[in-house]
Amino acid sequence: MTYVLNRLLSVILTLFLITLVTFAVTNILPGDVAMMIMGTQSNPEALEGLRESLGLNDPLLMQYGHWVWGMFTGEWGNSLIFKKPIAELLLQKAVASGIIVVMSMVIALALAVPLGVWAAVHRDKWQDTVSSSASLLGVSLPDFFWGIVMILVFARWLGWFPSSGFVEPSEDPLGTLQRAFLPSLALGLGLMAHLTRMTRSTMTGILSQEFIRVARAKGLAERTVIWRYALANAIGPVITIAGLQIGYLFGSIIVMESLFGYTGMGWLTYQALLNRDLPLIQSTVFVIAAVVMVTNLLVDLLYVVIDPRIRLG
Amino acid sequence: MKDIVSVDHLRVEFATDGGTVVGVQDVSFTIAPGETLCVVGESGSGKSVTSLSLMRLVEFGGGTITQGALNFTRADGSTLDVAAASAQVMGQVRGNEIGMIFQEPMTALNPVFTIERQLTDGLMLHKGLSQSEATERALDLLKSVRIPEPEQRLKQYPHELSGGMRQRVVIAMAMACEPKLLIADEPTTALDVTIQAEILALINRLKRENGMAVLFITHDMAVVAQMADRVVVMYQGRIVETGPVAQIFENPREDYTKALLAAVPKLGEMKGKAAPERMRLIGDEAARAAQAPRKPRTAKVLLEVKNLTTRFPVKGGILRRTMAQVHAVEDVSFTINVGETLALVGESGCGKSSCGRSILRLIEPTSGEILINGNDIRALNRPDLRRARADMQMVFQDPFASLNPYRRLRAQVAEPLQNFNLASGADLEARVLDLFDRVRLPRDFMNRFPHELSGGQRQRVAIARALALNPKLIVADEAVSALDVSVQAQVLNLMMELQEDLGLSYLFISHDMAVVERVAHQVGVMYLGRIVEIGPRAAIFDNPSHPYTRSLLSAVPIADPATRRFEGDMNFKPISSPIFPLGHQPAKSQYTQVAPGHFVLQG
Repeated sequence: MTYVLNRLLSVILTLFLITLVTFAVTNILPGDVAMMIMGTQSNPEALEGLRESLGLNDPLLMQYGHWVWGMFTGEWGNSLIFKKPIAELLLQKAVASGIIVVMSMVIALALAVPLGVWAAVHRDKWQDTVSSSASLLGVSLPDFFWGIVMILVFARWLGWFPSSGFVEPSEDPLGTLQRAFLPSLALGLGLMAHLTRMTRSTMTGILSQEFIRVARAKGLAERTVIWRYALANAIGPVITIAGLQIGYLFGSIIVMESLFGYTGMGWLTYQALLNRDLPLIQSTVFVIAAVVMVTNLLVDLLYVVIDPRIRLG
Repeated sequence: MKDIVSVDHLRVEFATDGGTVVGVQDVSFTIAPGETLCVVGESGSGKSVTSLSLMRLVEFGGGTITQGALNFTRADGSTLDVAAASAQVMGQVRGNEIGMIFQEPMTALNPVFTIERQLTDGLMLHKGLSQSEATERALDLLKSVRIPEPEQRLKQYPHELSGGMRQRVVIAMAMACEPKLLIADEPTTALDVTIQAEILALINRLKRENGMAVLFITHDMAVVAQMADRVVVMYQGRIVETGPVAQIFENPREDYTKALLAAVPKLGEMKGKAAPERMRLIGDEAARAAQAPRKPRTAKVLLEVKNLTTRFPVKGGILRRTMAQVHAVEDVSFTINVGETLALVGESGCGKSSCGRSILRLIEPTSGEILINGNDIRALNRPDLRRARADMQMVFQDPFASLNPYRRLRAQVAEPLQNFNLASGADLEARVLDLFDRVRLPRDFMNRFPHELSGGQRQRVAIARALALNPKLIVADEAVSALDVSVQAQVLNLMMELQEDLGLSYLFISHDMAVVERVAHQVGVMYLGRIVEIGPRAAIFDNPSHPYTRSLLSAVPIADPATRRFEGDMNFKPISSPIFPLGHQPAKSQYTQVAPGHFVLQG
């Protein structure tokens, strides 16, 4: 239990630091929110009035306090460009992006784990070379390139998937998955490389351990030795790395969602940045950071379940 | 009766980048039912390759059986050539008809599966038992290897068990399907001596009860003497000599066997001798004859340690506060005279290494006094401590880990001299040359890297480096434990020679009683952070007075097949934990003098 409390405490501390950094950075950025709302040609008195009503003339510390308190109580304010409550907007987009993030992670793991195990079992043979070249190819080309390839091959030539757009899962669940598949596949290929390498190296280490020899000496089939005895030990580190990749994924979806016209968090972030929608930027950054941290916390807790050596003392 | 195993001209090759390497060749032997055959040899002799070939596990390490037959008599009486068997047939033989135990109990069990799962999967596979039948059998197995509270152990994970208990689980796993042949590959090498005694006795009992044959692989001649019916001596992939155990020990024919036996220190052979004596090395008679009669020792104290205590914090909780303390060294006092060796012996975790490191302040002691020539080491500030350390050097167990793999040996031996600005240019070169001569390493080794040397040569480099500053005291922490026995003997002789020539004092930290008997003037026995008994070597070995010293000595295997010690069950008291809550005030160490200079801990 102490372990969980410990981790929760550090999550809260980090979230607090994130609010500080986000607030500081968005305030250093040039640009005036009031002017962005009213346009550059607007009446100076009206501008001043808006500033006053938005609280932009308050001391910075007070503005920060207001913002954090608002985040805490669910009063996230309104987006300047969408003219909608931020909380509502983010919730909707978070679901859309969640689908892509989970799907691309599943694709990446489904490809990387077998490929990495295969490479480790046939270490220093041709299979190893094939596996590492394949995963290197995935990572050495940028995500958006894979996105373009996906659109060309699966949407344009084969016509199996729609090339862009997003529909609400409540309206057409299958359609949502279809539209999420291509961007997820493109992201998954990029993720796969790290995970393959991680699987390969942990499996290589595990396979050279004495307990693997003991398992073979018991007469267990090689299949059991590798996919049960060895993989049960290797999967923990792989999942940890996968968890760390979640942060990287949220960076990648900005490009990928824009490319596919998929209106999720990435797309929203891009719009917010483009239009200097400061309240929206602040909230989006905060939510992404929180999601990344909570996933990592979950991954660490999962690791505890997998590996009995990590004590919850 | 038909032999269980008959190996005929086995040859195993390994494909490497540098071409084909022959692991073993021309190896032939037989094992009868109920017989223990010991295969003994130093590292690289091919003894493990031989045992792995019998299980056809050698293939997983990149080896190929290129010649010979490995005939194994199966349960139904038919003969199977293991070398030619299919993977499917081997799956039936492994773990079912042949069981195997390995060296490292700490890594032999899968850390993420329960003991129950690891004990039952073989039973369900080979014997077709249901989960509940297999669990019942697993419980019987744990009882037969005498594990306390077997019901609880089934639900536990390997990390919750001690090393000795894990090795018992590994043995239970190997015995699960009642194999006709048990292969034990260095099963006790990684264990403490009392646990080794228990495990050896256990293997003997199981062998008697089940009438199985045992193939026992070891590098330790003393274990061979205790366990073997017949012995195969291997050297560089070939069999050198084979014969009944008594013949091998009393009347060895081959020079290699003679040399191997000569290099083994035998507990009890120093009885009645006043001073340490160098090992008899075959072909080294000249050096032995040159051993000058020892100068009468002037009892001048070099190191005095008073009430030394070292504790480590155990941290926990959200704020990482100190929750408890490991009492690694507890109220330890001793002296070392100039030109003498004090050996600290004890089992793992007894605090002997922490004690050695505390003296050099490599770890900071909690309290106590350390005086070298009357100079208080604990009172020194950083720069003074640095200068004082020139007088006290350390040699560690693993010479490969203690040498920098990226630097030439010349630079590594010269480094201490440069650090203290003691020599430069031609003078430095001359000093380094002299040091290489001193430790009997060829001068052209100066340009080599550590990986180009053997283990014994590396340890000589480590000694040369320790000698560079002309220290008065060398702390040797298990300095010969990782070395093959013939190399160990050479390094021990070198250390004794340096002591005579340079008047060095050693704090010799070791778990090996037989080696200690050979090299020490004084012996301190450590248990749970305290010295339980200390005194002149002869007094400790001839008249051990503390119960722990006695049990330790009774557990040491003796390199003499006429003195067998591990027939009945052996049960030593498990060592309790040295972790105590904060604020725990342990009692002072109070000693009774049983003879002049021979002290025993009270209570």
